[in-house]
Amino acid sequence: MRIHVYAGLKEYFLPEFDLAEEVGNVDQLKACLLAINAGAAKLLAACRFAVEEGFIDNSYQFKAHETVIVVPPSSGG
Amino acid sequence: MKQSSSSLPAAEGRGSISAAPIDLAALVAAAHHPGAGAVVLFSGEVRDSNHGKPVAFLEYEAHAELAEKMIGEIMAEAKLRWGLSVVLAQHRVGRVAVGETAVVVITSAAHRGEAYAANRHIIDRIKHEAPIWKCEYFADGTREWGNNCNCQAVTGDVSKHIYDSDS
Repeated sequence: MRIHVYAGLKEYFLPEFDLAEEVGNVDQLKACLLAINAGAAKLLAACRFAVEEGFIDNSYQFKAHETVIVVPPSSGG
Repeated sequence: MKQSSSSLPAAEGRGSISAAPIDLAALVAAAHHPGAGAVVLFSGEVRDSNHGKPVAFLEYEAHAELAEKMIGEIMAEAKLRWGLSVVLAQHRVGRVAVGETAVVVITSAAHRGEAYAANRHIIDRIKHEAPIWKCEYFADGTREWGNNCNCQAVTGDVSKHIYDSDS
């Protein structure tokens, strides 16, 4: 699974990296990310997650080798 | 796919993410419509201070593909809801200097009430929902990813927002 992170999340993770673990849903992905850097807990709790088709929730089952976008709270404008 | 360096002008009904400076005059010229008696333009511009700290410049980052799709959907919804004649929106990415436009929303409608209401709604949703982020670079050399939407602290849901225009 390929992970892309943005904005403040780049203080905790590389902008793009591969996750070796098999991850089924958003909650499991959050747990994996926290295992990499627990310091991101507060920010991750406020993040949305997206795949190519758009934003997803915890009911979405990740496909093999999927690219996941971790979206911090917006601050446009 | 992550960041666009496109300098294409905003097409009507489609959100545009661009590294190029925003040409407000050209966008206003594109917003005239024979059925519109009102054209409202909102320009979000970079201030020279935030919370008392002098700001040197802002750096915007976006997931351009998702942001353009979302802004397009927001504009389409607003166009239907308020019967807009024309709707345009464009957002900068990259370094934006103090005094420059970071985001613009233009709404044209038969009457000013609809044009104002739709414009406020669109900019609120862009600021809260579109995957666009700003990093503030201060004159003292520090920087901070700032002014994030924190609606989740109230709504308990990262996808539910509270808009200024609803108050």
